This record gives sequence, structure tokens and C-alpha cells, in this order.
Amino acid sequence: MAVVGAGLIEFGELFEQSYEQMAAGAFRAAAGNVDRGFDPTQIDAAFVATQRGTLWGQEGIGGNTVPSAIGLSGIPCTRIENACPSGSDAFRIGAMAVASGVHDVVLVIGVEKMRDKSTEEGLLSRAAAGHPIYTRGETAPVLFAPFATRHMHDFGTTPEMLASVAVKNHHNGTLDPYAHFRNEVTPDQVLGSPMVCEPLRLLDCCPQTDGAAATILVAADRADEFTDQPVWVAGFGVATDHPYLHEKSTFVGLEATTQAAKRAYAMAELESDDIDMAEVHDCFTITELLDIEDLGFVEKGKGGPATLEGETKLGGRLPVNTSGGLLAKGHPIGATGVAQLTECWWQLRGEAGERQVEIRRGNALQHNVGGRGSGVSVVNILTTNA
Amino acid sequence: MTEPARIVAVGAASGSLRLAAEDVAAAWHGGAARGQVAACAPDEDTLTLAWDAAVAALDAAGLDGSSIDGLWWGTSRPPFGEGPSHAVLANALGLGTTSAGALHAGSAHAGAEALLAAADAVGAGTARRALVVVSDAIVPGLGTDLERRAGAAAAAAVLGADGPATITARVTRTRPALDRYRGAGESGTRDPYDARLFREEIFLPVLREITEHLAAFVPRTWSLPDPDGRSARAVARGLDGTVGSEAVVAAVGDAGAAAALLGAATSLDAAGIVASVGYGGGRATGVVFDALGPVPGAAAIPAALDGGRRAPYAEVLRVRGQLVAAGEKVEMGVPPGSAMFTRGSVEMLGPLGARCIECGTINTPPSIHPHCIRCGAEKFEDVALSGRGSVHTFVINETMPAPFVAPLPLAVIDLDDGARVMLQVTGEADDLAIGAPVELVLRRYAHERGVPVYGFKARLATGSGA
Repeated sequence: MAVVGAGLIEFGELFEQSYEQMAAGAFRAAAGNVDRGFDPTQIDAAFVATQRGTLWGQEGIGGNTVPSAIGLSGIPCTRIENACPSGSDAFRIGAMAVASGVHDVVLVIGVEKMRDKSTEEGLLSRAAAGHPIYTRGETAPVLFAPFATRHMHDFGTTPEMLASVAVKNHHNGTLDPYAHFRNEVTPDQVLGSPMVCEPLRLLDCCPQTDGAAATILVAADRADEFTDQPVWVAGFGVATDHPYLHEKSTFVGLEATTQAAKRAYAMAELESDDIDMAEVHDCFTITELLDIEDLGFVEKGKGGPATLEGETKLGGRLPVNTSGGLLAKGHPIGATGVAQLTECWWQLRGEAGERQVEIRRGNALQHNVGGRGSGVSVVNILTTNA
Repeated sequence: MTEPARIVAVGAASGSLRLAAEDVAAAWHGGAARGQVAACAPDEDTLTLAWDAAVAALDAAGLDGSSIDGLWWGTSRPPFGEGPSHAVLANALGLGTTSAGALHAGSAHAGAEALLAAADAVGAGTARRALVVVSDAIVPGLGTDLERRAGAAAAAAVLGADGPATITARVTRTRPALDRYRGAGESGTRDPYDARLFREEIFLPVLREITEHLAAFVPRTWSLPDPDGRSARAVARGLDGTVGSEAVVAAVGDAGAAAALLGAATSLDAAGIVASVGYGGGRATGVVFDALGPVPGAAAIPAALDGGRRAPYAEVLRVRGQLVAAGEKVEMGVPPGSAMFTRGSVEMLGPLGARCIECGTINTPPSIHPHCIRCGAEKFEDVALSGRGSVHTFVINETMPAPFVAPLPLAVIDLDDGARVMLQVTGEADDLAIGAPVELVLRRYAHERGVPVYGFKARLATGSGA
């Protein structure tokens, strides 16, 4: 499977755009980035990732919403919901649809409208959802802050180490024209920002962002109709873990990520050392530290020191979240994974502008983790090596 | 009645806030006001206070709920206007599904009714051991004198065939006149129409008639009702003996349905005769206790009523639901009457876990675990979870819109039996840390769509076991 087109719209609080307009914008961006031009009628099927379809004013979103919005009503289209990895999972499913031989040209598009409802209502809907006792008060930061508490206790991870993730990703965001936030933040600003969910502060958290992103996947034997610089799907992995926090076997790592990575590396026949850059799930600063450990980039417990010492910054040993990550670029849930894949696609093709990293082995990794109890993770690996 | 019921042990509890009378007075009419009343924190109400007092009495008796045959609960105003108040409390106390008992309500006299009904059940042999719980946490009408008088507190007693104290006499008088009351559909309780009329024509004559009877038993200590902050003194003037309920009123205010037993229980810390009078709704009942020695739990009562955090008037109004933000949206994802609650009620109030027959892992709660989270096996036995454990990890959520109250600590807890739960943390949480010992207590998680929702929360253990 080859990725021959990818693109996104500028992320942000897009009060002026509808869900459909965002979808159309992302679709046009991806189609416009196909080297040899792209005729939309070539699309055999589409997979749409939208996560919070019932809580954000998107009650009616289904398989038919996006085709109509992009002028392709009639094509097969299915909505994928798989928590925060919805976008990356839609990509994986699109890749499998191509690999199966059923479809030759598949559109994968992620769209999420986060800001049509007030932040307060969003918080409440989460805090009062699910089990009336065991999850009451469980807003999104509550899903990750317990890991920070325990990681700090067990490994001596410090607030300064957490802050170094935000500082790095915000810097990368200044170089990304699609990022929601394009301003630098200093360690003192992060450490002085209001406490949201101890030990996480405001700048340890990603924002509520509207956005959309799209990729176009084609069968390997048709790639040259579209480009002479294809990026290939090398492998992918998905894994689940128990959905409630009290069921976790550990609070210093995310088992779903570890398992998903293992499967993706095995399928790609690659190891963590073979990766040139990675877009990982940094919904909170602690999450990126867990990710780079669970993905095998650093030893368990060393994520904090490695980040503080610059191993994952632009120009570092393994640049992570060159796009600004969820922290700076934003986290429109269904669009997030697809946007990360777009960044990987640009980096592998040498088109990432000021934030371009050195591609030595030709491999990029994209990762999401989330859902209740961070119980779902998807890892996709892209490569320039045929 | 062949065998008189005996008091095996007693316990008490009070709301964790204190409202100063002067703060209320300042809001309404200025003027001098003395004293304080106990008030509920957002996750407390008459049912959770009843639970706290009952657990204290059971602990003092060295018993658990499964050895109790029935619950007799007296409270002016049950938490459900109409609904499963008694069943929820009995379940949360670990009484079996076959337990007996009754809910007495409707006035502050309910406490006396519950005590005598339980004593009768034990005397008649229909209950071997009975649990009496009396509690009140009324919502006073805004601007009423009750705001400065009515306190949130509870008392409990385990009754059985053996114990250091006996109920030796009782006397009841009725006088069908309107005193403190709440009309149908009203949320706040109102003062008597005419304070002087109430005192001179209703309260004092009835009380004097009762105390005259009780004085024949020569009590060393009295527990007297004090609905208006002055009448107890007037009654006491003609009596020999001390008034043990004065200290209770000073600490928590008029505990309404809980007042009579609370005042008596605190005086049962030594041998002697104690007389107690409960008043409410045009009825008064006097009871005489004869203690051969200290009743277990009695000496701990002052500590249970002491302390509490002084709260601003506005905070207390907020808790009582009398100060509500405009546009506040309060809806749980799952309605309290839905199947999810029906399935989950017993495991939430137990609280229960499912122990895997294969590997021993305790899965919580059982209804969402048809297969073991560790080994995948599907055979379990239900087990009551341990009420104690330690913090594995925690957070303090600072961003919680109403109806939540921030800061809201949540903790993953390793219980002593090996089970793990994640719960909200209630009470003082400054010392919350990994490894800190905690105990589980029944609290009100929500009050939505007009009904309360109860479940267990974690509280930092004091170490003294109190």
C-alpha cells in the first residue's frame, strides 16, 4: 500500500467552519498534494474517523456525511470510532482494504469538531459519564495524571522533565503552519501555569481543537500513476487494554502501546532503532514520556531525562512530534492520527520545511493511545523503502 | 415484653462543616447570635451521617452488619422523598437481604419512634439484635431561626439481649399542634408560627408532664430537646441531675430526630440512670436508660461531634441546594432509575468484588467483569471488599464545573484484600500520598434528577481508627 497524498487544514478554534467544511478542506488539501494530480472519482471507498459523534453536536455523523460534503455521494464510506486512535485506526483499516485487493484507491479522512460545545459542557459530559461511581469525576486529565504521579514516585521524574515536553513541542509548533498554537513557551511558563489536575498543569495539557486531515492510499502496483515518490505502509499494530484505571497492571506505562508497537515492528520487520522520527500521542506531557518508553525509544523510566537532555528535539537523536504534537498542533480527536501521518509523510519526502529532520533509514512511526483507561493504541509505520 | 432490650453499644456522627450563627444573622438581620450548628459537606446527608454513626456503633460492639436482624431508622426527612431510603442504608451497612426494621419519618419525633420500635422487636424476640439509627440533616427555610438551630448529626445504638444498659421505662404524650413544619412541595422547614405560643402552650407543658414521670426514676443525667435554644434550660430548672445534651447542642445544634438518643448516648459513658426526651410533630416521648457500666462507644461520642470546618454561609447554602448557579446543568450519563443502577446497586453499596476461582484476582465491580481481568476465567465468587487499603496512585482534579466541587482528589487504592478500586477521596486530603492508608466510607456521589446517588469514597485513615 502506498500513500500518494496527504494534507490537512489549519487547526484551531474553527468557529466559522462546519464539520462538512472542515472535511472538504482536508480532502482538497490531500488531493492537491498528489504529485501527478488527482481525479476524485477514482476513489473506490472512504473511511472517516470521528470520535465524539454523540457528544459534540455531531449526533448524526455517519458513513454518508463526508461523501456528500466532498461531492462524492454514492461511494462506499464507513465511520470508524476507536477513541483517540480513531484516525490512525481508520488509516490502518483503509490500508487493509487496499491490501485485500477489494479497493485500489481509498480515502482516509479524520474530522472532529471539538469547539461547537462549551468547554464546561464537554468536561461535564465526561465527568458524569460511564459508571456512576467508579468513573465519576474522571475528566480526560484524570486518565493520565495517575501515571504521572506514579512515574514521578518510581523514577524520580520531575515537573521540569514534564515541562520539557511542552517546551519542545511548542517550539516545533512555531514551525508548523497548521498548528493551533504557534508560540514558544518557557519552562517557567509551564511550571507556573494553573494546576489542572495535579500533577498536571495547564501547559501540560493539549487544547480543545477543531480540525481535519486526509490521506490517499493506493495499491502498490498503481502508485506510479500518482507519484514517483511514494511512501509505503510498512506495518501497523493495534492493541487493547482494560478500560478502567483500577484494572491497569502498571501505572508507569501503557500496555496497549507496548503491544501495538510490538505488532507494528514485527509486521514492518523493523526495530525501534530503525525509526528516523516519530509522531506520538502527547495529549499530556506525561503521555509523551510514557510513549517514548513504551515504543522502545528509551529505557523505561528514562523518558524524562532523555527529553530534558534534548534527545527528542529537532536535531536530536530521534526527533519526536516535529509537528508540534497534540500539545501545540492540537487534538481534534478523529483528525489527530491522520494529521500525524501527514507529518510523517512530509518528513519522509523531505517536505517538512524548517522542521525537516534528517531521514537516514527512511522510516517514520505514528502512534495514538487513548479511550477509557487508555485502553486502545494504534501504531502505524511508514517507509520510503519499497 | 418479657425481656427488656439492652444497649450493646452506641455511636455518633456529625456533618463535617460548622456554620456560625453569627454568619447567618449577618445575612438576614444583623443582631447578636451565638453558637454554631453542624452542616453537611456536599457528599454528606442524613443517610451518610446515619451510616457513619451506625458503623461507629457496630465497631464499638465488635459486630458487623451481617449479625444484625433489622434496622430501625428515624429521621425527620429521608433522603428520598419517596423511595428506597431504608433499603439503601441497610444494604450499605451490610445487613442481609432478609433484614427487618422500619423507617420512621415525618417529624423530629421519628428518632424516639425508631428506638422504641427496635426495643419492642428485641423484647418480643422478633429481632435478636437490632440496629437503631437516628439522624437529621434538614434543609431549613431561608431566613428561619432553624438556620441557626438545626444541626446535622446522627446517633446509633445496637440493641440486643445483653449489654451494659437497659431501657427500663417509657412515656409518650401527644399534643396535635403545628410546630416546626414543612408543607407539601416545600423544600425548607419553617419555624413555628408563633415562637412564644409554641413554647408556652405546647412545648413546655408537654415536656413538664413527661419529665415529671421520668423524675421518679431519679436520673443522674438528662437529654432534653432544645428546639429554640432556650426551652431546654427552662425545663431543666425544675429537675435534679445534670443535662448531658447541653454539650451536644453546643457542638452541633438541635439534631432534631437524632437529638434525644445523641444526648442520652453521650451520657452512657458511666453507670447510672439517664433519662431522655424526644420531641417533634406534636409528640414527646421519654425513655429511661439504666446503665450498669459504661456502654461501648459512648466515650467516643464527644470526639465524633467535635471539630468540623467553619464554613461560610454561602457554602452551606450551596450544599443545601439553596444557592444554584444560573444555567447549571446537572445530568449524569446514566439516570439513577435505569437498569445500570439496578444491576449495580448492590455491588456499589456492598461494595462487592468478584474473586476469580482460578487465579484469586478480585475484579471490581462484578457486573462489568464476566471474565477475569488477569487470567480470563469466568467463574467467580462474590466477596465483600475490604474497607481499608492504601493509595497506589492519585490525582487532584482542579477543573471541575458544578455540580462537582474542586479540588476533587481521586485515588487508585490497593485494598487490604488485594482488590483494587479507583474512587473519589473525601475529607481532608492534604496528606494524600502514595502509600497513605485509607478507609472506605459511604458518601453521596450526586444529587441529580431529584434523587441522591450513594457509593463508597476513600478517606485518609486517621491511624487511631476513629
